[in-house]
Amino acid sequence: MQILNQNRTTGALLLTTLLAVPTAAQDVLVQASKIIVAYSTEAPNNMVLKDSALLIRNGKIAFVGADIPAEARRAARVIDYGNATISPGFVLAATTLGRDVDLGEGAIAFTPDLLTADAFDPWLEQLDTLAPAGVTSFGLVPSARNVAGGIGAVGKPGLEQGRLIAPEVFVGFSVSRSARNQERQPTSLMGAHQMLRESFTEARDGVKIGPDLAILRQVMSGQRPAFFYADTFAEINAVLDIGASFNFAPIILGGGQSERVIEKLAKRGAGIVLNTLSPMMRRADLELPAKLNKAGIPFCFAGRPDQLRLSAALAVRNGLSRSTASTALTRTPATMLGQQANVGALRTGCGADFVVFQGDFIDLSARHIATWVDGKLAHGASAKQAMKTRNTNLTGGR
Amino acid sequence: MTRLLPTSALRTGAALMALTVFASAQQAVTAYTNATILPGGKPAMSNATLVVSGGKVIALGGSALKAPEGAIVIDCKGKTITPGLIDASFQSGTKSEDLNEQSDEVTPHLRVLDSIDPEDPRFQRARNAGVTTVHVMPGTRNVIGGLGCVLKTHGTDPKEMVIKEDASMRIVMGAEPSMSNRAIRGGRVNSMYYRRPTTRMGVIWAVRRAFYDAKEALNKTQGAPGDAPPSPGTQILTQVLQGKVTAVTTARSEQDLRTALRIADEFGYQTIIDEAQDAYMVADELAGKKAVVMLGAPSAEAVAGSARSDGAAPRAGTVAVLAAKGITFVITTGTNTAALPLINEAMFAVRNGLGPQQALDAITIEPAKLLGLSDRIGSLAPGKDADFVIWSQNPLDPAAVAESVLINGQSVSQPR
Repeated sequence: MQILNQNRTTGALLLTTLLAVPTAAQDVLVQASKIIVAYSTEAPNNMVLKDSALLIRNGKIAFVGADIPAEARRAARVIDYGNATISPGFVLAATTLGRDVDLGEGAIAFTPDLLTADAFDPWLEQLDTLAPAGVTSFGLVPSARNVAGGIGAVGKPGLEQGRLIAPEVFVGFSVSRSARNQERQPTSLMGAHQMLRESFTEARDGVKIGPDLAILRQVMSGQRPAFFYADTFAEINAVLDIGASFNFAPIILGGGQSERVIEKLAKRGAGIVLNTLSPMMRRADLELPAKLNKAGIPFCFAGRPDQLRLSAALAVRNGLSRSTASTALTRTPATMLGQQANVGALRTGCGADFVVFQGDFIDLSARHIATWVDGKLAHGASAKQAMKTRNTNLTGGR
Repeated sequence: MTRLLPTSALRTGAALMALTVFASAQQAVTAYTNATILPGGKPAMSNATLVVSGGKVIALGGSALKAPEGAIVIDCKGKTITPGLIDASFQSGTKSEDLNEQSDEVTPHLRVLDSIDPEDPRFQRARNAGVTTVHVMPGTRNVIGGLGCVLKTHGTDPKEMVIKEDASMRIVMGAEPSMSNRAIRGGRVNSMYYRRPTTRMGVIWAVRRAFYDAKEALNKTQGAPGDAPPSPGTQILTQVLQGKVTAVTTARSEQDLRTALRIADEFGYQTIIDEAQDAYMVADELAGKKAVVMLGAPSAEAVAGSARSDGAAPRAGTVAVLAAKGITFVITTGTNTAALPLINEAMFAVRNGLGPQQALDAITIEPAKLLGLSDRIGSLAPGKDADFVIWSQNPLDPAAVAESVLINGQSVSQPR
């Protein structure tokens, strides 16, 4: 009997301990001396909070700063990042996560109705490279090998596995060199251009159209953003012509020679997803972001996730403002993917996806402390510590 | 600050002045006086004056023509002015893969305009050598390659450069279209290049089938309205049969030239003969059919590049033979990689027996007529585009240099 009683006590103790461990449902209050809720291309318009906090509930931002109710503040588990800066997590506008093989249907070049979501592996190793680079969401784009590759998805990495938040978002097209394959139609740029022209014409004018052309109709009606891989003058020009003929504003992926088409890009309302920059590039390429910004063309970066910050820093060194560079890593790609209500900012209702840096992430010397995705720590040395205790002062604490 | 203000004010003033000059350049009247003018299609004029405004020629005359009051006068004493040269068969610098859609041998509806890059160095080179208008066609690796277009050689957007879209449809005879194709001889068939044609006969079969389908489509449209429209390619071919789109047949050797004429006869369409290195052998037939010839690189001793195996044997004297037979022809640089700049091709033609005016006409007014654009380009006359070249001396002199090249009245020459 005595023994039993003892056991009961131990059991009760165990139960109490279990209850003390924060559950998924518990609110989390993340504090820092500086929280950037959203970046803007104009520095004074950045939404910045000093000595403030975010309240995370069910993986989303429930309240921001002064709006946090006192009782919610009291009940929440507190994570204090001290004098560090919290910014929205980076959005990688387009990636194939190294799975080009699975994301380019080889048999024919026109497959707009395929879903990249169907080829998404949540356990893919490449997903593990995102959070350490500060990337909290990404556009999963079809490979550049098909003229119309398919429908792209938007996803997020995680501590263990990634997930898609929107499986059918934009349409991936390509007129780049890899879309011109000498073993099937089209083999040439004029062939690719003609293929697009004919398909869009049929989608616009056809009475009975199949599921593939129905996708093009959604592009023309503005329901789906259209991403086009295009790099050279002639390729970008071809895409802009198609956009003008069929009344939609394309988003160019690559756009190496976009400087030569800059006025036309601005006139047509096109956006550009540039390849990530590297210090070895020609000066003209490094200055391109600043020139695009001056012309009012929205742009962001895609390529190697670990070079996003470097790209922003190099663009700033070559004439771009810090706030525009930061926007290009967060809000611009979110808007291009049509996900501005969910990612790219830390407004109420957005996913609790943020990065914590000791300083401004544009400064390459700023230390990356943590990345949170959906209100959970996805990268950061103190992950275990953060999950264990109720009140945590993490690295960078006051 | 006190020093900065006047300087910046000065700068602004200078910029404003520069702007005013630039804005008025379009409408300003400029007179080029005291020049020898070879107006194209007409005899030379000495001590002549050319008056240009708003991108157009407004007057041309001898010494009696005075520069209008207020005009900018440019003294061209000792210089020769010609219309901007026109290359009726110009190979753009676009990569061969992008000039030939290889997924099909017959692609009449593909537009070469879709692959034009205004900064193509070949445009720049041509422009510097006095060429202001070019006719660009798709490559020669397809039996029917697609639609050509006519462009000015200067601009930043192909749409602004183009003066005639869908100017021609190219048909190619000879070995080139069948070159990459393979015959199935057992083993694995793992490429689309295992297909017809693999021979000259096969090439003609493909042309014939395409035009046969087009004829069928024409008859069908007339017979049964409401039928599904023919394919975009067939639609272009029907336009060729109806004479709405000009056919250009690239044929080099004697046999290919004869075939080109025969097929055109068989289906009843008109065709311009392009390249035509062996034209001297079939001059009588060409004259009899009243064929128009775009002679490719007449100075070249041989056909270089992938058309080498066509077996054409070019001769320098072809120009004189064609002229003697009264065949309408123009001189082009064409697809031969051994071609000289267009003006030097005309110069060699003179060396080989063509009259100087005829040689110059063959690169100015004659190609303008052939392309259906003689109301705009190819000669200097009031109302026409102010495309002209100021040469250091008679352009047919080997030492002549295009000192100034103007398109629509604007200088497009680059510093040497």
